Amino acid sequence: MSTLNLNLPTLAGSMVKSGATNTATTTAQQCYIHPVVLFSILDHFLRRNDNQERVIGTLLGVRSDDGRIVEIRSCFAVPHFETDDQVEVDMEHHRTMYALHKKASAREQIVGWYATGSSLSKYAALIQDFYSREAAPFSAVHLVMDTDLSAGELGIKCLQGAAVGAAAHPENCVFLPLPYELQYPDAELSALQTAADSSEQGVTGLVSDMEQLEKTIEELHSMLDRVTKYVTSVVDGSVKPNNVVGKYLMDMLAIVPKVDDKQFSVLFQSHLQDILMVAYLTNLTRAQLNIADRLQRIL
Amino acid sequence: MAAADSKNQAKPMTALLNENNELATFDLAAIPAHLASVLDIEATKAVTSVKVDPLAVLKIVKHSREAFPTSVNGQLLGLEIDGVLEVTNAFPVPTQPGSEEDMTNYQIEMIQCLREVNVDSSSVGWYQSTRLGDFMQQPLLDVQASYQASPSNSSIVLIHDTAKSEQAGNLSLRAFRLSPTYLELAAAGKFTTAELAAKGLTYGNILEELPIEIESSNLASALLAELQWPGGSVEQELMESLQRPSSFNARLRARKLADRSAIADDADSDSLSSLSGLLPSRPNYLARPFCTNSLDLTPSGVTRHLETIGELIDEHIHDANQWMYWQRGAAKEKYRRQQYVQRKKNANAARVARGEKPEPEESEKELDKMFRTLPEPSRLDALLNTANLNLLTKGITQSRGPALTKLYMAQGLHESA
Repeated sequence: MSTLNLNLPTLAGSMVKSGATNTATTTAQQCYIHPVVLFSILDHFLRRNDNQERVIGTLLGVRSDDGRIVEIRSCFAVPHFETDDQVEVDMEHHRTMYALHKKASAREQIVGWYATGSSLSKYAALIQDFYSREAAPFSAVHLVMDTDLSAGELGIKCLQGAAVGAAAHPENCVFLPLPYELQYPDAELSALQTAADSSEQGVTGLVSDMEQLEKTIEELHSMLDRVTKYVTSVVDGSVKPNNVVGKYLMDMLAIVPKVDDKQFSVLFQSHLQDILMVAYLTNLTRAQLNIADRLQRIL
Repeated sequence: MAAADSKNQAKPMTALLNENNELATFDLAAIPAHLASVLDIEATKAVTSVKVDPLAVLKIVKHSREAFPTSVNGQLLGLEIDGVLEVTNAFPVPTQPGSEEDMTNYQIEMIQCLREVNVDSSSVGWYQSTRLGDFMQQPLLDVQASYQASPSNSSIVLIHDTAKSEQAGNLSLRAFRLSPTYLELAAAGKFTTAELAAKGLTYGNILEELPIEIESSNLASALLAELQWPGGSVEQELMESLQRPSSFNARLRARKLADRSAIADDADSDSLSSLSGLLPSRPNYLARPFCTNSLDLTPSGVTRHLETIGELIDEHIHDANQWMYWQRGAAKEKYRRQQYVQRKKNANAARVARGEKPEPEESEKELDKMFRTLPEPSRLDALLNTANLNLLTKGITQSRGPALTKLYMAQGLHESA
């Protein structure tokens, strides 16, 4: 039997003892999510089968030693099948995929599972119980994305299951919200930037460094404009001053290093000469290569 | 009912075997025009551009970043439609040494698993991460050649430069495939100067570059928009982001906002409405930048680049010397052969003049045996070396513009400060 059959209470008697693991787990307190996870979930949802309402999958990532901080780094889809009174999760698929993932990135463990939809599935508690056992001795994190955009947004929610009731039953579980933050490593940021630019106009190609710089400078310019406008309106009293913004702006101004003119011009000149020298040498090398190539063809 | 049936049959029907090996029939006219070419398996249309899904990009970026500075590779999944190669997914290939069989099994299993969840299961190529941009290596060409050996011939290799993506704040992703000229020469295994010149293979046309586009689905666009502007009160979000150490532009903020609690006490929730002037107007909201790394003034690894260029130049000179040595040897041998032939001719002419019988002349084959010239060393290594040099120097030349711009920007800032 390759699928895990999870049934609603009437048939779930055999699972009662495993439900007790819920109480002994260390609960997470902070969750970090990498953007690639969200994109994978959306892709999975787009590729769901006909008349399938939600998709689920396994979240992989790393934990701090005490299990309080969870970092969700990647995920994979798990096929499942829901009917009115039971849910089937393809266990074999889950295990194979996990084993395959282990080979490529050994550090990532199972940290929880994801589902799509505007509300919790009625089998969420059962699936949560299964993943809690997979993630033991830590608790499993449940990530929900509202792919129907029912509230006009994707409403990413991070939840954590907690046992409820005198005797722990797998089907009794309360999902508590878990604070999360998205993590943007530098390399991902640049990729997201490009993707965001493209979603503005449908499809776009990649831009050169120079164009990218130009865009950033323009953006910086408009930011400065807005701040100037705000500061002027605060100074002439039309807008109520705000201490947080004031302090922040002060800090920002303090970051600009104070270099005296003479030192600056020395630094500027030497840096400029470095750049020009390197550019000259590399161009010379290229010219040499070209000549060598042409000569060889004549020979 | 019967009338409808006969009407259906009048239309052209195409028969295909579906997954269960049942003969399924469907209406050819129901297929959108741009998909029609997919059904035509015999037609081979050269790929002219590459479309990459953000998911695939992010997966590649993540894999390369985690393994940095080691160079890693993985498989690309997708579909080729009408000359456009759509890369929709990717998965990493383990870097641990394993037998070739293990690798193949890993890939087959992975593709099977992904097929179960309706991911495009056909391989459209592979990706490789690079550190400096000198990716022109013999193994890369060999692997790509094996990918292109498949009948569809539409496989590509995506090169991701991690360091550049991070430091320049601009995604550095390039799509390549081997040029037909290279494939032709590689099949013959002849990389001699004469062959290279005859076929016109230079360091610049070993690989063909294809234009890349990034296409996000509607849902992915919604996600991107939301990541740039999380829902809820925009003003509240601004306040929070000013106080939070780990968000956009976190490093600057964390450095300066050590005394966060004091600021938090100052936060005056009813003054939030006055902040709207600081925010960009809504219609333009997608323009909020994710990444401002391109404004970073620190030079990005130029030293490392220059060192590598130096090494490559040394290698280049070594190659050139080796070739010159061979060339001189070959020329000497040729000269001796000509002299021998000439001497023999003169001797024979003298014998004929004296009325004697001329000695038999050696055939070309015998001459070849007598004056053996060494085969020319393969020029491929030198060619790749030159190609790498070209890539690196080009990269530096291209980084000059932004570097100068930033330099003058700093000057402007200094003058106005």
